[in-house]
Amino acid sequence: MNLNDLPEDEYFTSGHTACPGCVAPIIVRNMMKILGKNTVVYTPANCLLVFGGTYPYIAWKVPYFHEAFENTGSSISGAARAFKKKRKDVTVVGIAGDGGTYDIGIQALSGAAERNEDVIYVCYDNEAYMNTGIQRSGSTPYGASTTTTPPGKKIPGKLEHKKDMAEIMRAHEVPYVATMSVSHIADFLRKVEKAKKIKGFRYLHVFSPCPTGWRFDPSKSIEIARKAVDSGMWTLYEAEYGEIMDIYKPKKKIPVEEYIKGQGRFRHFTPEMIEELQKWVDKKWERLYGEKP
Amino acid sequence: MYEFRFHGRGGQGGRMAAEALALAAFLEGKYAVSFPFFGAERRGAPVRAFTRIDDKKIRTKTQIYEPDAVIVLDESLLETEDVLEGLKDDGVIIINTQRKPEEIELSREVRCATVDATSIALDVLGKAITNTAILGAIAKATGEVGIDSIEKAIIEKFGARLGKEAGEKNAKAARVAYESTVVGKSKGGKQFEPKPQWLPTVDELPLGGSIGTMETYAGLVGIGSFIENKTGGWRVFMPVVNDDKCIGCKICWFYCPEAAIKMVDKGAKTKKAVINYDYCKGCGICANECPTKAISMEREVKA
Amino acid sequence: MPDKGHKYGEGGESMIQKLEAKKMVITGDHAAAYAALLADVEVVAAYPITPQTLIVEDFATFVDDGITDAEFIMVESEHSAMSAVIGSEAAGARSFTATSSQGLALMHEMLPIASGLHLPIVMPVVNRTVAAPIGIWCEYNDMMPQRDTGWMQMYSEDNQEVLDMVIMGYKIAENHDVLLPIMMGLDAFILSHTVEPVEAPSSDEVADFLPPYKPIAVLDPDNPMAIGTFTPPEYIQELRYQTHRCMKNARKVIYDVTKEFASKFGRNYHGLIEEYETDDAEVILITMGTVTGTARDVVDAYRKQGKKVGLIKLRFFRPFPAEELRKALQNAEVIGVFDRAVSYGVGGPAWIDVKSALYGFDKPVLNFLAGIGGRDIVRGDVEKMFDIMLDAKNGKAKKEIVWINTRGVEE
Repeated sequence: MNLNDLPEDEYFTSGHTACPGCVAPIIVRNMMKILGKNTVVYTPANCLLVFGGTYPYIAWKVPYFHEAFENTGSSISGAARAFKKKRKDVTVVGIAGDGGTYDIGIQALSGAAERNEDVIYVCYDNEAYMNTGIQRSGSTPYGASTTTTPPGKKIPGKLEHKKDMAEIMRAHEVPYVATMSVSHIADFLRKVEKAKKIKGFRYLHVFSPCPTGWRFDPSKSIEIARKAVDSGMWTLYEAEYGEIMDIYKPKKKIPVEEYIKGQGRFRHFTPEMIEELQKWVDKKWERLYGEKP
Repeated sequence: MYEFRFHGRGGQGGRMAAEALALAAFLEGKYAVSFPFFGAERRGAPVRAFTRIDDKKIRTKTQIYEPDAVIVLDESLLETEDVLEGLKDDGVIIINTQRKPEEIELSREVRCATVDATSIALDVLGKAITNTAILGAIAKATGEVGIDSIEKAIIEKFGARLGKEAGEKNAKAARVAYESTVVGKSKGGKQFEPKPQWLPTVDELPLGGSIGTMETYAGLVGIGSFIENKTGGWRVFMPVVNDDKCIGCKICWFYCPEAAIKMVDKGAKTKKAVINYDYCKGCGICANECPTKAISMEREVKA
Repeated sequence: MPDKGHKYGEGGESMIQKLEAKKMVITGDHAAAYAALLADVEVVAAYPITPQTLIVEDFATFVDDGITDAEFIMVESEHSAMSAVIGSEAAGARSFTATSSQGLALMHEMLPIASGLHLPIVMPVVNRTVAAPIGIWCEYNDMMPQRDTGWMQMYSEDNQEVLDMVIMGYKIAENHDVLLPIMMGLDAFILSHTVEPVEAPSSDEVADFLPPYKPIAVLDPDNPMAIGTFTPPEYIQELRYQTHRCMKNARKVIYDVTKEFASKFGRNYHGLIEEYETDDAEVILITMGTVTGTARDVVDAYRKQGKKVGLIKLRFFRPFPAEELRKALQNAEVIGVFDRAVSYGVGGPAWIDVKSALYGFDKPVLNFLAGIGGRDIVRGDVEKMFDIMLDAKNGKAKKEIVWINTRGVEE
C-alpha cells in the first residue's frame, strides 16, 4: 500500500486534544485507516485515553473501551475470545504507551502473547510516562531528563539504558512482531497491512516522539523520528514466529549526537554521556545486524 | 479576600504565575492560596489557574466563581470565551496585548489594564514566556500585592527552577511590565454565544455512561463527537499552502495529527493540500515535512 | 512464513450435548463449574488458586472434552482474569470466573470497573483467609473488604445452593433493572472440597429459566459505542447514583428470581434471608455460610429443651436486607450476629451492618467472632453463642463482642 491507496476515512476524528505535534494521533489515525471500520479499540490509561475522549465527547468512530492501566493484554484477550465464540470477524486492537507496555502492563502482555491471542497489540513509545507528567519508564533512554530523573548535582539523569521491549516480544515467538516509525511511511503502511492479515498475536511497536516531554519544537516530530532510525537509536524490523524476516538499515548511519541535538531532555549531556549512549547504540547495531557499525 | 482567575493555554505558565502571586502575598505577611484548574488539559488547550489572598487564614476550599481580577495571558482567548464571566462589577481585567484598554471589546465595560507582556518577555528574556511579566501588571492594576514582593517571589520561585540569573531577569520583566501597564476602561457589548453543556439527569444518562452517538440539546455527544471541539484556537502560527509548489504528494495529509488536511481537486494536474483551520493547532509538521517547501508557517493575526 | 507455532483458532469438532437432569455427589467447586456449564457461559477466564482450582480444572475439562464450545482463557493472573471477563462481557458474551483469597485481593482494582460498567459477571469466591499470615482455610476476610465495589455478594450454605445460585446469579445480574456483577461465597474446604449430593437440572430446564444475555451496551462495529471513557465530575456523581439504585433494585429482583426458581425447581431460598424457627423466638442468631447448617441442628435441639431460639441465614450481604431484618427481628429479645471476619478495632462486618439496620431497636445485638482463619466451628461453639444470648435475655450479658474459642480471651 502507498499513500494513494490509503483510505480517506478517518476513524479517529479531528477535535481531539493531543498537544500540537504529538505523534500518537498520526500513528492512530493512519493505522485505523488500514484496520478499518470492523475494529474494536482498547486503550489503557495513557495520553490517548484522555486526548481521545473526555466524556461525553469521543474522537473514536469505532467501538472503543477502557478498563485500567496494566491489563491491555488481558482486556483485549477477553473481547477477542467473545468475538471468536460468537463467530464475529472483528479485529481487536489494544493501543498502549510505553509505561503500559514495558512496565506495569508487561505481565498481561506476555500472557496474551504466550497464549497467542488473536489480537493486535500496539505500543506507541514516547519513552516516558507523558500522561502523568513525564516520569521515567523502562523505555526512557540513558541519561534522559524526566521529572523523576532530573539531571541533579549528583545523578545526571536516567542511569539505565532503554529496555529492548520488541526483542522481549520476539522471544515470545508470536506470529508477528514489527518495529515501526511514521518517518518511514511505506514501511509503516506495509507492516500495518500485514499485521491486519495475520491471525494470532501481533505486536506493533511504534516510535512516538513527544514534543512536550522531550522538549523540542513540535514541527520537528517526524524529523526526530527519522533521525532516531538513522542513528540506530530505533531500528525498524519485523519478525515472524521469533525470526527476523526483514530489517531496515539506514543508508548512512548518523552519530547519536546528531539525534539528541535539539531535544531538551538531552541538553545536559556531557561528551562522556554521549559516548555511553553511542556505545549502547553500537552494541545494539552489532547484535541486530551481525556486523560492526 | 481578593480572588484572581488566570486564563492561559497549557504550557504558558499560568499556574506558575498564580503560584508566584500567592508567594508574593505571603512574603507581605498575608495568607494566600493558589490552585490550578483540576483537569488533564494538554499543551495549547485553554486552561485556568486561581489565587486567593486575604489577611487571615483562608479556609474555604471551593473553586473561584466571582473573581475580583481576571488575568488573560493569551489574547486569542478573548475571542472564544467570555473571560469576564463572574467578574465582580468593580473588578479588573488584565490582558497581555499590544492594544490599549479602550480598544479591547469585551462583554461588559469594565476596568481594564493592558500590557505588552510578549514584547517585554522577548526583550528582557529573549523568549515569549509571559507569565512573569504579567505579574508586574497585576501589581499595578490591583494594588493587592506590591511590585517589590512580586520581584522577590519571582526570584525565589523561578530562580529555584531556572537559576539565579534567570530569576533576576524574570523579576526585571515584571518590573518593566509594572512601569508600562496602562489602566483604563474596556469597551463592552461583545456578544458570546453561551456554549450549552449536556447535563443529563440520572435517568437521561446512559447506564454506566456507555454511549453510542447521541444528538442532544448541547449538540452531538458520544462516538465521533469530538469533531465538535474546534482546536483551531490553539494555533499561534498558521500553515499556508502555496498551490504553485504543492505537488499533491499527500505527505502532509498523512502527517497531520489533527486530520485537518484534505487533498482537493482544484482543476490542476494534481490535487492540492487544503488546511482546515477549525482544527489545525499550528504544530508545523506539514511545513517541516513538505518535500517542495510548499507550506510556510505564518504568524497568525487574530480578528 | 515459517511453519511454527499453533495455528490460531483450530479446534476439534464441537461435541456440545444436552445435559440431562441428574443427582450427583460432588464438591462445591464441581457444583460451581457444572452450574457455569448449565448456564451456557460463553467465556471463562480464570487463574488457579487453592481451594478454587477444582472449578478451573473442571471447566477446562468440559472445554477440552467438547461438552461446551465456550472460550476458556487460562490467564496469567487474577487481575487478568477479571480484566478478560470484563472485556468479554463488554463484547456481549456471558462470562464467568472464580477465585479465592489473595486472588480476589489482586482483582480488587478491577471489581468496581466491572460494576461501574454494569457488566453482569458471575464469580464464585471460595472464601479463604487473606494473608498475613498465609493460610488456605476458610475466612470471610477476602470477600468482606469488597463490600463497596458495587458487586452483589451472597454466601452459600451447601453445595446445592452453590449450584443453584450460579444459575440464579446470572438471572439476577442480567436483569436490566440490576445489571451488576455478583460474587457468591462458598466456604473453603467445608464446601469447596466436600462431596455431598446435589441435584442438577437439565440444560433444557436451565435454558428455559435463563434466557440468553441481552446486553444494553456492547462493543459492536455495526453500532459503535464507547465503554469506560475518561469522565469528569459533571457525570460521575449521576453514574454512582445509578449503581446505587441498581443495587437497591436488586432486592426485588432477587425475591422474584428465587420465587420463580422455587416454582420451577422446587427449592426455595426465600430471597435475601431465610428465617428458621423465628416465629416465637426470643433469641435469634444471624448466620452466614456453612455454620448455618450446624446452627439449624442446635436450634432443633434447644427447641426440644423448650428454649425459644431461632436463626436467620443472611444469604445476601449486598444488597443488604435491612428492612427484612427489622421485620424478622422485631419480636426477638436478644439478637446475635455471627461473623467470620473482623473489622479491626470495631467488630464483625455483618454485625456492624446489622446494628446499623436495627437503629432504634432497644435490645442487645451481640457479635460472635468464630471460625477465623479456618478454625472449625463445632456444635459446642454454636451452643455457646445461644447460651450467651439466653444469658443476655436474663440480663446477664457480659460483652457485646465475643471472640468464641479464642485462647486467652474471655468469652
